[in-house]
Amino acid sequence: MGQKYDLQHERVKHLDLTQYSQVESGTTVGETVNKMRAEHRNCALVTQKGKLVGIFTDRDVLHKVVSSPDAWNKPVDEVMTPNPFTVTEDDKAETALLEMNKRHFRNVPVLDSNGHVVGNLTHYALIKFYADQFPEALYNLPPNPNQISDSRVGG
Amino acid sequence: MTEVTLNLTRKDFVSDQMVRWCPGCGDYAILAQMQRVLPELGIPKEDIVFISGIGCSSRFPYYMDTYGIHSIHGRAPTLASGLKLTNPNLQVWVITGDGDGLSIGGNHLIHTLRRNIDLKIILFNNRIYGLTKGQYSPTSLPGTKTKSSPMGSIDPAFNPTAVAVGVGATFIARTAATDVKHMAEMFRRAAHHKGTSFVEVYQNCLIFNDGAWDYATNPKTKHENIIYLEDHKPLIFGKNKDKGIRLNGIHPEVVSLDEVDESELMVHYEDMPDGSLSYFLSQMRHERGMPEPMGVFRCVDEPVYEEEVLQQIDLAIEQKGKGDLQQLFYQADTWVVEDESSGQNGSNGQGGNGSVPTLGVDEEYVGVVFNDEASSEPYFSPTDTLSTLNPRQPLIASQDISLGEAIQKLHNLDVGLLALVDDNGKLAGVFTEGDVLRKVAGNVTDLDATPVKDFMTTNVTALKEDDTLAQAIHLMSIHKFRHILLVDDDNRPVGVLSSRRVAHYIQDNFAEN
Ligand code: SF4
Repeated sequence: MGQKYDLQHERVKHLDLTQYSQVESGTTVGETVNKMRAEHRNCALVTQKGKLVGIFTDRDVLHKVVSSPDAWNKPVDEVMTPNPFTVTEDDKAETALLEMNKRHFRNVPVLDSNGHVVGNLTHYALIKFYADQFPEALYNLPPNPNQISDSRVGG
Repeated sequence: MTEVTLNLTRKDFVSDQMVRWCPGCGDYAILAQMQRVLPELGIPKEDIVFISGIGCSSRFPYYMDTYGIHSIHGRAPTLASGLKLTNPNLQVWVITGDGDGLSIGGNHLIHTLRRNIDLKIILFNNRIYGLTKGQYSPTSLPGTKTKSSPMGSIDPAFNPTAVAVGVGATFIARTAATDVKHMAEMFRRAAHHKGTSFVEVYQNCLIFNDGAWDYATNPKTKHENIIYLEDHKPLIFGKNKDKGIRLNGIHPEVVSLDEVDESELMVHYEDMPDGSLSYFLSQMRHERGMPEPMGVFRCVDEPVYEEEVLQQIDLAIEQKGKGDLQQLFYQADTWVVEDESSGQNGSNGQGGNGSVPTLGVDEEYVGVVFNDEASSEPYFSPTDTLSTLNPRQPLIASQDISLGEAIQKLHNLDVGLLALVDDNGKLAGVFTEGDVLRKVAGNVTDLDATPVKDFMTTNVTALKEDDTLAQAIHLMSIHKFRHILLVDDDNRPVGVLSSRRVAHYIQDNFAEN
């Protein structure tokens, strides 16, 4: 027993991180968006020679791109959030998640000890961690609520 | 033929049948992943068929909104083979279990694997007969005490992957129903393989054999007991990836990476032409103190049976002309049996009304599971209703507004989801920031002249306020929903829950304890 205990003993690298697109600084907004589309990602991390310099998400597309057609050909650097808050893969999972909540971030890039991006921490990580602890209650459910019969085949 | 984009979603694969597995059965997670993976394959629903035998797992086809046959005990591979040979355009999945596939159907399974017909076989292994209420099965470990083996079973356990290797199956994989992402990946790989794909899924029967796979699925211990296979990579495992497998003579052994260099470890090759490496892997069993491999054991390209058969048929037709089936039937002694007893066939009252016989619930066993609240209860209850999470008011607009207006609304309130309703206030669809990214930006020049209707998602999966937190976490963890819309009984949007809200709720409850 004790989920708090368990989470306290996990590092960020033990969590299920979310996938992201990676683009080099200077890439145009249009190219970035197309890459995110092709890779089915909601978040792009912008790097310069391997080092993270910014983050660009679907929320930025909503606020800064879709209604301003001239943004399309500009470098992504102009619309991204520069120098985002990051955590490292060896940070304690619980601390990282608390920090993320406190600062109201939805995407927190994860770096390795050399400062290279290795993942993207989102709320999914906590939900997935929790679900993994209770597969019977959380994974083993019918496709729709109540789509379950009282007369059982087995037990 | 013109290319049509299918745009199927998981909902397209959900049937309207009530699911009759026990609450909490591992079969549900397998169903959910199948419904998640199939829309990605780009195959029309009507070209997909699920064929099963008999057993709990074999009810699977009812719950998939595709063609399907709940067939004869152990015989799913035979029906599937026939179907695939007559209509090779279909994607045919076989759903079987350890009892159905390895006991009564063992022979069929072996020969199907040997022939390499392009079928996708998923074997749900729970090491027990569930449907018939708990007798030991071919995969039960020796010593398993059940109703049919009160003093412990004596039979050595069947090793499904070893058998598959032995008969030369061209695609062999193993996964666990609790390992949802990995399982989805194995289904994808199986779907893309040309030839027979065989996937063994560790599935928990919580009524009759609860915890049979605990060593391989419990998040606290599994990383020490299983090893994820990666093609062309050394065999490394452990939570901190600090152990590996080295070959000592002809025996694999566990070594610590503190003492042994990575270069000494066994390296995995999925496409090794002979089966020796996969056989090694299949022999790594928990009961022998070895970590059990999870992933693709073997994936090789070999000629596919139906292609060769069809070539022979074409050749035969070319050489001898098209045959006449009628003529073939009547060429030898044939006679007609007169029906003297007409009127007596069929309706003798024994289930003749076409209804599916219903097996009653065995209260004795259901009680065991559902009165036992002790062991794995989380701090907050997954049965909390969604209203206890204080869902936010959703942003609502008429479905007749323009794309420009919809985007303006999301922008002004800085939210990710807009619920769109018809004239009666009922949910018609949703439009999200994800849609802006994926479909709109850069593609639409005049936002104000374009109706949002053309870009909204219809057929939305919405929950109700009195649905449980478990349902929300299910959608978010398995299907990666970032928002869940709540509707009332009249399908009017009444709330929205973001993954952030759910994560906060979980975390607040961690903190309190
Ligand atoms: S008896 Fe076991 S395998 Fe069958 S539905 Fe119930 S839990 Fe699942």
